[in-house]
Amino acid sequence: MSQNNVAPLICTPNRGRWLLALAAACLLAACGGGGSGDSGSSAAAATPITPVPNGGLSQVASLGKKIFSDQSLSASAKQSCATCHNPDNAHAQSNDLAVQLGGANLDVPGFRAVPSLRYLNLTPAFFFASDGTPTGGFNRDGRVNTLAEQSERPFLAPHEMANAGRADVIAKLKSAAYVEEFRKVFGAAILDNSDDAFNRIQLALQQYQKEDTDFHPYDSKYDQFLAGKVPLNAAELRGLALFNNPTKGNCVACHLSARGSDGSSPLFTDFTFDNLGVPRNPAIAATADPAYFDLGLCGPDRTDLSSRSALCGKFKVPTLRNVATRKVFFHNGYFKTLREAVSFYVKRDTNPELWYPADASGVAQKFNDLPEQYRKNVNVTEVPYNRQPNMPPALSESEVDDVVQFLGTLTDGYKAQ
Amino acid sequence: MKKNILAQAVALALMASPLAASASEAELLKRLDKLAAEVEQLKAELAATKKKTDTVEKRQDALAAAPVAPAAVVAASAGTAPAVTAPVSTAAAASPATMLGPNTVLSSYGEVNYTRPRHDSSKSQADVARAVIGITHRFDEKTKMVAEFEWEHAVTSASDKGETEVEQLYVEREFNNGLRAKGGLFLIPAGLLNTNHEPTAYYGVYRNFVETAIIPSTWREAGLGLSQTLDNGITWDTGLTTGFDLSKWDATTTDGRTSPLGSIHQEGQMAKSHDLSVFGALNWRGVPGLLLGGSVFTGKIGQKTPDFAAQDARLTLWDLHARYTPGKWDLSAVYARGTISNTEALNQTFAGNPTPVPSSFYGWYTQAAYQLWKNSDYTLTPFLRYERFNTANSYAAMPAGLAVATGPNEGVWTVGTNFNVGEGVVLKADYQKFKVDTARDRFNLGLGYAF
Repeated sequence: MSQNNVAPLICTPNRGRWLLALAAACLLAACGGGGSGDSGSSAAAATPITPVPNGGLSQVASLGKKIFSDQSLSASAKQSCATCHNPDNAHAQSNDLAVQLGGANLDVPGFRAVPSLRYLNLTPAFFFASDGTPTGGFNRDGRVNTLAEQSERPFLAPHEMANAGRADVIAKLKSAAYVEEFRKVFGAAILDNSDDAFNRIQLALQQYQKEDTDFHPYDSKYDQFLAGKVPLNAAELRGLALFNNPTKGNCVACHLSARGSDGSSPLFTDFTFDNLGVPRNPAIAATADPAYFDLGLCGPDRTDLSSRSALCGKFKVPTLRNVATRKVFFHNGYFKTLREAVSFYVKRDTNPELWYPADASGVAQKFNDLPEQYRKNVNVTEVPYNRQPNMPPALSESEVDDVVQFLGTLTDGYKAQ
Repeated sequence: MKKNILAQAVALALMASPLAASASEAELLKRLDKLAAEVEQLKAELAATKKKTDTVEKRQDALAAAPVAPAAVVAASAGTAPAVTAPVSTAAAASPATMLGPNTVLSSYGEVNYTRPRHDSSKSQADVARAVIGITHRFDEKTKMVAEFEWEHAVTSASDKGETEVEQLYVEREFNNGLRAKGGLFLIPAGLLNTNHEPTAYYGVYRNFVETAIIPSTWREAGLGLSQTLDNGITWDTGLTTGFDLSKWDATTTDGRTSPLGSIHQEGQMAKSHDLSVFGALNWRGVPGLLLGGSVFTGKIGQKTPDFAAQDARLTLWDLHARYTPGKWDLSAVYARGTISNTEALNQTFAGNPTPVPSSFYGWYTQAAYQLWKNSDYTLTPFLRYERFNTANSYAAMPAGLAVATGPNEGVWTVGTNFNVGEGVVLKADYQKFKVDTARDRFNLGLGYAF
């Protein structure tokens, strides 16, 4: 339904006090000049999205679904959103590369590991909380505020789908099988303006991710356990207790595991950012340059907080839902197993030699993926990081196993036997 | 006469103590005579007041007659108000003064407190703890409306800690046989303090722990209630109301440890009402100065919340209470105990968190106050109270290694004094000593009023 179909309805004068408000609304909607049939406002907003009953997708979301898996929209013609965000692997990468390859020949390495697209629909736009805590936003550095905005970079980044510009994407869209549907939904002339058309692609992708419950099914074993439908086994329960215990795993400090006060399901993230001092990953080509550092909130991809040195090295706390399906962990994909990742949390400070290369004198170079001046930003105060060498780790080996078991209950699609 | 004898017999049976016998028949008759005389005096005063009001209203009518438009507006709004039964002229209904006429009573109470922890004076604080405005309106002899509006902690906004709340809002109708029916938001008749919570009505700067941590005063629910006071001194109460919402339980904070029910109460705020609760209370005042009573409140608290692991959880809270005021003494005691069933599955979801849902919690106190000194309208009443309570007395069984330690049996001595100025103003000072959490030992000062 286009805006022109809607406007005449609200322009019908009603009675009484609504008249004035309606008149204003009609003016805002510029309905008086309507009727050209193909105008399709150039404003970004106002594409009406008609909800579809019975869990189906709206037309816009349905288009988004097609775009999501359309490889023809990339320079290589072999890469779509779904290539890296595989629906069959919790909308994350299926391989165990630290970073994916893109570009026209699929040989240009990226800079960060692929995050899952699951459970992002409730992420708030980026803001600083009243106590100064950076919160929310999309990408690992929170630099964009909506899923729609987020969808722009992969189309254009040279190491991803590598289109030369928006017009390049739209040129490819014109050959897509669903282009007529795109015109029908967004207006016959929508492709005449590349920026408008690209904007609609973004909106469609966003709508798809918001509407399709494949992106947020809330059907993990843990969800069913919270609902009182299935029990956790002994190891999983022990793992949950360690996960929650403020003196043991304390994972819950950032990865919230309890329902919200409104009964909402836990998302296993508080949307904040933290600096964990993850080891430098030589598997990322860019690290060949000793001067290259990915500092998250303060750059280089994000530019607006580059002067906030205390934020350097902080990355977004991701949801842990489906974490057991990941092939690589943390922003730089350094770890390849979940057990390693959990062990890193509890032994980073008690046994740094396990994680960091030694310098000439044999001392482990802690936090070696941060320039010297930012290493002090690493979180060393919270449990389980508040340890020194020769202290016991916050979790024993068997407790790490239990936590890993518990994390396995966060995988979507659990079916009780 | 016969009823008095009956009352004494019941008292003896219940108390099996010589206390009940202390009020002899002669004494009772004497008190009755005195009461009758007081009623006569009040009637006379009321008549005089009505006369005076008439005069004032007539004068205001004369004044209001000049600006016609505003008076008309008032008359229009007064039209929605109930008919005033007092002998005032129709014209007088247009006067703003009638809006708080002889059938509408404004009441208020408030308290300002100062607390200084003994071991950490940096935590000293002063607080306008409560400011309450009440309106009671009698539509007629049998029908009234009671409303109470409260501010807690002085300032209420998104970023402040205060609260604004409707504490009571109900309509009550009395029938010819003395039966009273009420509907709306009203106080649950549990313990001694909940229905009698003005600062002039209790000893100590703060309300006792048993009747805040176990019985969540000021505890109100929305629903319907019935009550009746019989000639033998027995008052019974019963009702069907909203209850608690266990899905609000937050295992990550200590709120549930401070007051299990206080952390999941609904207070008539868009209260989940799939599961309603019932209550019953019996109070006996057959002997002057003596009150004996008990109450039970029970209901499911899962509220059929979708995908919630404790759908069948049931809360039951009961109490026994007694108060005896012979001469200058004021003696009282309360025992209260709550249980919450079917929490196993829910508590497993809280594994590792500090505050699972307790399966039982309890508390009791005993208190003695003595009117030591009285001069003109000043009264000095020192008191001593000991209470013992445990907000996490037990938990449902958890798998091995996941159990959380039950709470301590906290014991608190409170010693202090109330200094009353007339009937409506009280100054308070006390010291509280905690047996377990000694960091909470504190000196308190308070100023309260009620009218």
